[in-house]
Formats: sequence, structure tokens, C-alpha cells
Amino acid sequence: MSDHALNPAHAGHDVSHEDHPGPGLYLLIAAILTVLTAAEITVFYVPGLQPVLVPILLVLAIVKFAFVGMFYMHLYYDSKVFTTLFVFPLLLALLIVFGLLLLFSHLQGVLSFVVP
Amino acid sequence: MRSVSRLNKFVGSGLLAAMVFAFFGCGNFNAPMQTFASGSDLAKWITSLYIQITIWDSIVLAIVLIVLALAIFVFSTREGDPTEPHEHESDLMLELAWTIAPALILMFITIPTVRTIMRTQPSKWPANAITVQVHAHQWWWEFDYPGLHIATGDEVHIPINRVIHFELYSDDIIHSFWIPALGGKRDVIPGQVNQITLIPSVTGEFYGQCAEFCGLSHANMRFRMVVDTADGFKQWVAAQQAPPVEPQEAAAKNGEKIFKNAPCAICHTVRGISGFSKQYDYGFRGPDLTHFGSRGTLAGSIFDNNPKNLAMWIQDPEKVKPGARMPTLGLRGTDLHDLVAYLESLK
Amino acid sequence: MAAQPKPLAFEHPSYLHDPGGIWSWITTVDHKRVAVLYGITALFMMAVGGMEAMLIRAQLMVPGNHLLSAAAYNEMFTMHGTTMIFLVLMPLELGFFANFFIPLQIGARDVAFPRLNALSYWVFLGGTIFLHLGLLRSIYGLPDAGWFGYANLTERMYTPGINVDCWDIGLLILGVSTLLSGLNFFVTIVNLRAPGMTFMRMPMFIWAMLVTTILILLAFPALTVGLIFLFADRFLDTHFYRVSAGATPILWQHLFWIFGHPEVYIMALPAFGMISEVIPPFSRKPLFGYPMMAYSLVLIAFLSYGVWGHHMFATGMGPIADATFSITSMLIAIPTGVKIFSWLATVWGGRLRFTTSMLFAVGFLVEFTIGGLSGIMHASPPVDLQQTDSYIIVAHFHYVLFGGVLMGILAAFYYWWPKITGRFLSEKLGKAQFWITAWAFNATFFPMHFVGVLGMPRRIYTYAPHMGWDFWNYFESVNAFILGFAFLLFFINIIWSAMDGEIASSDPWDARTLEWSIPSPPPAFNFAAVPMVTSRDAFWVRKYGTVGTHGVAPAIAGGAAAAPIGAHAEVEEHIHMPAPSLYPLIFALGVFLMGVGCLVWTRLIIMGGAVTVMSVIGMVFEYPSFGKFDPAMIAESTLGLDHRKVGMWAFLGSECVFFASLISTYMVYKDRNLGGFDAMILNIPLTSVSTFVLLTSSLTMVLALAAVQRDDRKWSVFWLASTVLFGCIFLGGQAFEFTDFVMQGLKIQTNLFGQTFYTLVGFHGIHVLIGVCWLIVLTIAVARGKIGKDRSLAVEIGGLYWHFVDIVWVIIFTLIYLMRTVKHA
Repeated sequence: MSDHALNPAHAGHDVSHEDHPGPGLYLLIAAILTVLTAAEITVFYVPGLQPVLVPILLVLAIVKFAFVGMFYMHLYYDSKVFTTLFVFPLLLALLIVFGLLLLFSHLQGVLSFVVP
Repeated sequence: MRSVSRLNKFVGSGLLAAMVFAFFGCGNFNAPMQTFASGSDLAKWITSLYIQITIWDSIVLAIVLIVLALAIFVFSTREGDPTEPHEHESDLMLELAWTIAPALILMFITIPTVRTIMRTQPSKWPANAITVQVHAHQWWWEFDYPGLHIATGDEVHIPINRVIHFELYSDDIIHSFWIPALGGKRDVIPGQVNQITLIPSVTGEFYGQCAEFCGLSHANMRFRMVVDTADGFKQWVAAQQAPPVEPQEAAAKNGEKIFKNAPCAICHTVRGISGFSKQYDYGFRGPDLTHFGSRGTLAGSIFDNNPKNLAMWIQDPEKVKPGARMPTLGLRGTDLHDLVAYLESLK
Repeated sequence: MAAQPKPLAFEHPSYLHDPGGIWSWITTVDHKRVAVLYGITALFMMAVGGMEAMLIRAQLMVPGNHLLSAAAYNEMFTMHGTTMIFLVLMPLELGFFANFFIPLQIGARDVAFPRLNALSYWVFLGGTIFLHLGLLRSIYGLPDAGWFGYANLTERMYTPGINVDCWDIGLLILGVSTLLSGLNFFVTIVNLRAPGMTFMRMPMFIWAMLVTTILILLAFPALTVGLIFLFADRFLDTHFYRVSAGATPILWQHLFWIFGHPEVYIMALPAFGMISEVIPPFSRKPLFGYPMMAYSLVLIAFLSYGVWGHHMFATGMGPIADATFSITSMLIAIPTGVKIFSWLATVWGGRLRFTTSMLFAVGFLVEFTIGGLSGIMHASPPVDLQQTDSYIIVAHFHYVLFGGVLMGILAAFYYWWPKITGRFLSEKLGKAQFWITAWAFNATFFPMHFVGVLGMPRRIYTYAPHMGWDFWNYFESVNAFILGFAFLLFFINIIWSAMDGEIASSDPWDARTLEWSIPSPPPAFNFAAVPMVTSRDAFWVRKYGTVGTHGVAPAIAGGAAAAPIGAHAEVEEHIHMPAPSLYPLIFALGVFLMGVGCLVWTRLIIMGGAVTVMSVIGMVFEYPSFGKFDPAMIAESTLGLDHRKVGMWAFLGSECVFFASLISTYMVYKDRNLGGFDAMILNIPLTSVSTFVLLTSSLTMVLALAAVQRDDRKWSVFWLASTVLFGCIFLGGQAFEFTDFVMQGLKIQTNLFGQTFYTLVGFHGIHVLIGVCWLIVLTIAVARGKIGKDRSLAVEIGGLYWHFVDIVWVIIFTLIYLMRTVKHA
């Protein structure tokens, strides 16, 4: 099955998914994603890893995100236009998240929940 | 005749306003809220920056208008002219110039801006600063002096040449505390305590107003700020700390009874007579009236404080101040007269 | 090359001509007709918004006026702002001019998604009506909390009536319409340009629209999220903006201005584009500094996302944030200055023709410069503390939005009207309109700088006499009425011209861009033959042979005789225009019903939702080439990509901002929770299983796509059905999780954790649900043989959506579940 799909000859007419990988690679990616998710959950439960929890989890999440985006969503094979269309908003979204977190962490200092 | 003099005033104040604008606040006419102000250190810093940026803006505007006028009236031809215009599409030096020149001008604006930001938002203030807690309500201002045990509404007194530290609280929604003569505004945000710190440098009575839209009577949420001399402030504090004046006249005595028995006392404090009670906390309260008679204005500072206005206000608050929380009590005749007499006696 | 085309009678009827009558307008998907519908609606709303402005000025004419009550005044300024922004400026720029001229300027036959375009219009109309729906209940039923709708004034406790409900839902509906138009135009510009029209050959208006659509895609989601929170607060009793639960109303201001500042450029950039189209032909010169003009647009757009805080200097963000936002705001002045000077340089040395259009363009240059410069003052936080919420701000943004944007639109009206209708607007009336506007606009709004300096706050329905404001307010009001008169002339001009205007040739201005190469008004298919573009100013080059005018013999200047290039060409045999459709209207009706349902009868929401879903499905299968791989289309497309796929990716980009707003709200509010349930309630084992399930569904999804692409129906159905199954398992897990939490006592109203958790994870769940429905439809279609290899695109696009939902879950699982003990703020 994977031989068949890895050979793009049959998909000749469509430029947009002519280079798409086949089930073999998809299964490989799925295995990697499963392992990474298992790692995430393990990290969560191991008490000794708590101090480095955030960086590890963030890295793992970014790697999973990138794998799905690149292979399942074919960004790695498709036109770079699509990557641009997706990555630019992603960066902007990150900017918004970090901006708001910074702004509100300042606010935390001047808050009073006790209404006088 | 009246309308003519009014028109004169319109024109007069208009021309003056234009001159104020032209000469950056050197005018001396009746505009109590004008923003080229110098009543405090804060106001002076802001005004200085304001003038700098206005000058830069004017220069740039003049350049653009001159270039436009030259382009239209001198360096162009009109329809029907036989010469074809030159196909001038780009000029690297020119384009670099009008990218870099504004950037330089912006530096001259940004550097003093950042310095003024740092100056005007101190994170510390001296221990002897006078703290005034400003509580914004829909639609009036309450001022508490936590160290002095004074509470007042619509009118706030501060001494000259002392560091004044305003803490801004809101019990309901977002308002904005603004006294143009003494400097800029700060939003008053529920759940958040904002600050303004300033040193007033001129005595006098200054106008303030809520600047953030806060519902129906946003326009009727004003206040007065009186900057006293050091002695004047001391006297005012002493007078405010004193217990309320005992009513002397018969009318005022009767008025006190009415005040106690009518719902007034639920929301309004007169020290020793009534107190705002948590038990009846509807989420809003009225101003402390212990020394109501000493104030110049009433009802969110929209009326001068005199018996006639007070009677009008008590009779139908909603009519003169849309959405006012104070209920109509249906008082009339002698009752109304006596209540007014009592309240005005609370000097 | 510069051969003189011979004048020729047009054999093809214009787009306005259709024997179908009114029905043909209701079902139209022709971008030109949709544009006309937008134009009529927006012009009507312009009259309404103008009346509201007149009432505002009448009330403020003298101090202590009693013409309007406080309630009526608050409604008037709220609706004046909302109307002019959402129902006049944006629809005129996007719906009317961009819709009409994007395809014409890039040499396309229509927009990328014609039915989506009609759908945008009908949804827009629904939103417009919805904003005014409160009038049915009471004459005081209009929204009254300001166009900016600052929380917590908008909470039910402070504004109990239907007014703010209509505003909230109305803007949500309008947001859908705007987002879809933005998406549509973005794909059109990116992928439907005529052969040879590279990015650096596009007319500047197209550049402006390209950047504008990106702004729309990436700014509106923030507003949508803010409005959804407001909706939840008002209808579900949550506490997104309520201090009593530990929330802060400032969150609204952040979300609103993350949208709101780009929104300013969403309005301003199209006007920049229009001015860039108008000045060159009337100066008989090419646009000066084209590359810098284009780059400065991009730079302005980029910076506009980093300046939202300058609307909030008075809220006490702290000195560091103030300084940062101040500097980024000032930086915008640099690219804006480049634009102003480039326009001046275009005029410089030109052979000027002062048509009405050109007059308005020059007016724009002056007024916009004034507005831009006063903006620099407000970008300085200390100065802004004396200025914000005072009349100097009113002066500033009217110089930008009226003196700038609206003058740009008027210039565009006089310039493009002959192309739209085939008739001229009267130059005589137009010039009268211009000079009256020029006087009255400045006389109305310049004195607002004075009253601002004199300390008059905004949004006050009454003011005391002797504040130094009396004269100027009187003066402003009188001139505002004169300004109203100028617009009366405009409306008269439009009506007169439509009925009896002078007939215009195809190229009446001797213009430079492609839209002038076809008849006025254009035929339904726009271009008989798709034009080949070899340079900037494509039509000019065809007429005269060079980019500039240098060396052209004066004899052929004038151009009035030049006939449309396409007129004598053989109409290509296979021009195939999209068929009319009623589904857009039905969809809009469904959305409208859902909105009404929120107000009056909950069951109506479900009915409206059903209508909406059915219309989407109907629309999909109505289109015979549904999901079809179309080599001809891809060959014609600019990027060699299918525009459905481009559209999907652009949409997913927009979704990133949507989820970013939800996620940041969760992270900000999580640590402000005032006790009760918190993230420790989260069931990690259950969610871990859900995560595996969703990841597996992504695998089955790609396997399904691979199966469809090799035309293996059995396996396609199997993998698609598996995906549906896994999706359902995930949804079931989520339903179990939510039920479990509710049973434990955590409701959406309980506390900040509850509401932010339920909205974030709930909206992800809704995306999964939509994905599952989508996949079910695909599965059935594949099983019935409707989707094979040639239509695999349908599965691919559905798959993209599905994978996106999956990667959002990857983030949510990490940030919300696994990092539940981490403090963010």
C-alpha cells in the first residue's frame, strides 16, 4: 500500500497534490505524534520534571503542531504561499498573546479586588 | 438687546479661543477647562510637550501645504497646455529624504515624550503627600481624605505647593477623572486603582468633569477643585472635621426631622445624624451632606448651590439630571422649604 | 502597439441589463450587481447617519439645549459612529468600489467566490437591519453605549434594554459579512490577476485592497471574540467584564482596540488607494514612487497591530507600555508621510485637470494631512491625557475619516461613476458640492480643535454656558447644516445622473488602468478577452506605448475617442459565468433568524441555524463543479493554485487570531480567579485519551484523502467514516467532561476559570462539531459516488479544516490541561 502511494505517478494531473506523501509517511508521523503525546503526559506526571515542565511541554507542542502542519496539512510539499498565509497570522497571534500577557501582568500590580 | 450682547460674547469668546489656540494658552479669558494649563507641575510638563509637538506639527503642515501650493499653482500646467508632462516616476534621493526627515522630527518628539511619561507617572511619592481617594459614581464624584476623616462630594479642596496623591476608585463603571487646569485625566476603572500625583502651583477654583462616557448623565458628572493656600486648607479641614451645625431656625429644625424620617438618610450621611448603611446598600449611595451648605455647587456640580436650585433638585431629580439615582420623594410646600433650609444650614 | 482602436458598437448588453427584473437582482452573483446593491444600501445609510449627525449638532448648538433628551442624544452619537464606520465607509469602500473594481482592475471576470460575495451582501443587509431592530420595541430602542461599547457600561446591569443586545449581535453579524468579503477579495487579488499582472504591476488601489483584506482577516476575529464575551455576559450571566468576579472591563478595551486600530486602516487604506487612482490620470503622470507607495501600505498595516494601546493611554497601562505604544504609533507617521509626499510629487509637474474628482483628491491631501498630524499629538501619552475623550479627538478623526476617507470616496465616486453607470455625474453640481464641502467641513471640524483645547469633553449631550465653548459650538452647528446641504447636492446629483446624466464613453478621463478598456457600463463578463498585462498602467501602455507620457504626440492625447480594447475582439466562446443563486439570501435569512432568536424566542435560534446549515449544503451541491479539480482554472490563476485552497488557508490564518484571543483571555483570567473551581478540576487521563483520539482522526483524515486521490471509494468511505467516528468520540469525551464539571458544580457562570475554560474549549468543540458535520456530508457524497478523484479537492479542504482543529487542540491540551498549575500573568 505504501509503495503504491509513495509512487506519485498516478496523481500526475494535479500540481497541488502531486508530491503528497503516501500512507507510509502518514503512519510514521502518527507514530511520532503518539510518542510525543505520551512524552507530554509522562512529563506531566513525573514530579522531578516539574521545574522544566513549561519549556519541555512548549517544545513538544510546537513540534507536534509543526508535524501536523507540515505533513498532514501538506505545507511541506505544497506551495510556499500556503505556508506564508498560515505562518504570518500565527506570528501575529503570538504577538497578541504575549502582548496581552505582558500588559495584564503589569495590571496585576495595580489591581484591587476589594471594592472600597 | 440680550441676544446682541450674547452674540458679542459668542464672537468675543470665539476670537479669543482662536487667539488662545494661536498663542498656546497665553490668553486670559473665561475658559475654565482650557488644556494649555499651568496649574501644577504635571500640567506644566504636559503643556510644554503639547507646545513642542504643536510647533513641529505646524511646521510639517506648513511644508506640505507650501509644496502642494507650489505643485498646483507653479510647477504644473493646465489642461490644454501643449507640453506633455515629464514621466517622472521615482527619485531615490527625494524618497530617502522624505523618509528620513520625518523620522528625525519624530525623534525630537519621542524623546521628550518618553521623558515626560517617566516624570508624570512616578511609582513613589513622599510620605507627607496628601492622599485624596476619588470615588466615581454614576453620576457624581466623592472625595475622601483617609488621613483627615473628611468625606465630601462634588467639591474637592487641596493645598497649594504640596504633593497631592489622587487614588481613583470606581464603584460601578469606567469614568475618567479630569481637571484640565491641573493636568491630564486618568480613567477611573472598577477593580483597579489608578493614580495621579501632582503639586498644584496656583490657588483658585478649577473645573473638572468626567471624560469617559458613562451612561445617561455622563454630561452631568462634573466637579470643582479648589486649591487653597496652606492656611486656607487648614481652616477648611477644621471646618469639615467639625460635627454638623445644629439647626437654629424653626424651619431648619423641622427640616432635620424630615431628613431623618424621609428616605434621604438611607443614602446620605450627615455625621451624627444619619449614616450610609450597608444594610440598605443598593449598590449606590449619595454624597456626604455633613457640610453641604459650605459647597458651591450641587447634583454633580451642575447647579450653583442655592435654596432655589436645591428645591428644584429635590423636587424632581430625574427631570434636571436624567437617570439620577435620587428618587422623587413628593415633598412640596413647607416640607420642601424646611428640608432645603436645613440642608443649606449645614455650613 | 499603440494602434488606435476603432470605435465600435457594443453587441453585448451591460451588466445592468437583464430581463429578469427584480428577481435577477435578488439572486445575482455578479460582482458588479452586488456592488450596486452595497452602494445603494450604504448611500441610504449615509443619509441616515448624516441625519443623526445633524441632530447631534442641533442639540449642541447652544448650551443647555433640550432638543434631544440625554437618552436620545446617546443613541444618536452611538448610531452615528456605528453607522458611518460599519454601514457607510466600509461598505462603500469594500462592498461598492472594491467589489466593482477589483475584478475590473486586475482583468478578472468576477471575484473568486461569486456566491460568497452575494452572501456577504445579504448578511450585511441583515446586520444593518438588526442594528436598528430595537426601534420595533421602542423609539428609544437604538444602541446607546457608544460605537466603542466600553465594558462594563454594556453589562446588563447598567444597560438593561434591548439596545446593546442589538448592537452586540448586529456587529457579530456584520463581522461575518466583512470577514467573508475580506476573504473573497483577498483570494481574488492574490489568485485571479490577469496574466502578466505581477504584484508590482497592480494598480495602487489593488495594493491598498490587498493589504486591507489582510487587515480584515486578522483584525475582525478579535472583535468577534470581544463581542462573544459580551454576548455571554448579557445572555448567560457570565463575568467576562465584571469586577465582582475578578475580571476587568479593560479586557474589552484590549480586544476592541486590537481590532479597532487596524479597523482605522481598513477604512483609510482603500481611500489611499482611490486617491492613488485619481491623481495620476488628472495629473497626466504615472504615480510617483510606486514601490515605496506599496511598501508603505504594507508597513502601515504591519505597524497597525502594534499600536492598539494608544487608545488606552488614560487607563493606566504603566510607563513602559505607554512608551512602547507611543513609539510604535509615531513610527506609523513615517510611511504615511511617504505616501503624502509621493502624492504631492505626482501632482508636481503634471498637466492638471481640475475635475470634481481631482478637487476632492486635493481636498483629501490637505485634510488628511491635518488629521494625520494631530494624530501625532495623541500618540504622545502625556499630551493625550489632556486630549483624549475631548473634542480635539473628534476633530482629529473627522479630519481622518471625513476629510480623508470620505473625500477619497467622493473623489472615487466622481471618477468611477461613469464606468459604473455609463453616465457622468454633473460636474457643475459636483464642483458646487466640493466648494461647499471644503468650506463647511473645515468650518465644522476645525473649531473642534479649539473647543478641544478649551476642554470640552466628547459625548456630552449638554454643557454649561460660559465655558468658552458657546460660540464655536454654534458656529460648528451652522456649518454642519451647510455640510448637510452639500450632501443633499450629492444625492441630487446621483439621482439626476442615473436618470438623465451625460453619456460617458468607455474611457472618459484618458485613464491608465484596465477597467477603462471595457465598455461603460461593462458587460456581465467584463472582459471579452482576458487582457495580457506587460507593465504597470496597463491600459495607458496599450494606448500610448510607454509607461510615462514622454514622447507621446499631443495629437493622440485626450483619449476620448479611444474605444474599448475588448469591444471589437471576438468574445471568447467559453465564457462561463456563475449561475444566479438564491442560497446567499437564504443563508443571510438564517443568520438573521438566529439573531432574532437570541432576543425573543430561543427556538428561533435552532430554526435559523437549520436554515443556515441547509443553505450551505444546498449552495455546495448547487455548484456543478463542486470540489472539482479544474486544470483550466489553475492554469489561469495567478499563483497556479486553486483559489478554494488559498481561501481555506487564509481563513485558517484568520482563525489563528480568533483562538489567540480566546487563549490569551484564558491565560489572563486564570490567575484572577476569585476562588472556587480552578484548573485542578481538569481530568488529565480523560483528556489524554481524547488527545490520542483526535490525533488518530487526523491520521485517518489524511488516509481518506490519499484514498480519494487514488479513486478508491471503499477505503475513502472507510477512512472518512473512521474520522467521523473519532471526531464523535472526541465530542463525546468533551460532552462527558463538561457534564461531569457541571455535576460537580462548575457552570459557565461560576467563576472566571469556568467561563474562560468553557468558551475556549467549547469553541474548539464547536469547530470539531462543524468538522464532523462537514465530514459526514463528505462521507455521504463519496459513498454515493459524487466525489471521486477529480473532486478530491473537496476532501482536501475539509481535511485542512480538520487538521487545523487538531493542532488547535495540541495547543489547548498543552496550555490549558498539562500546564494547569503554571501561573501566566
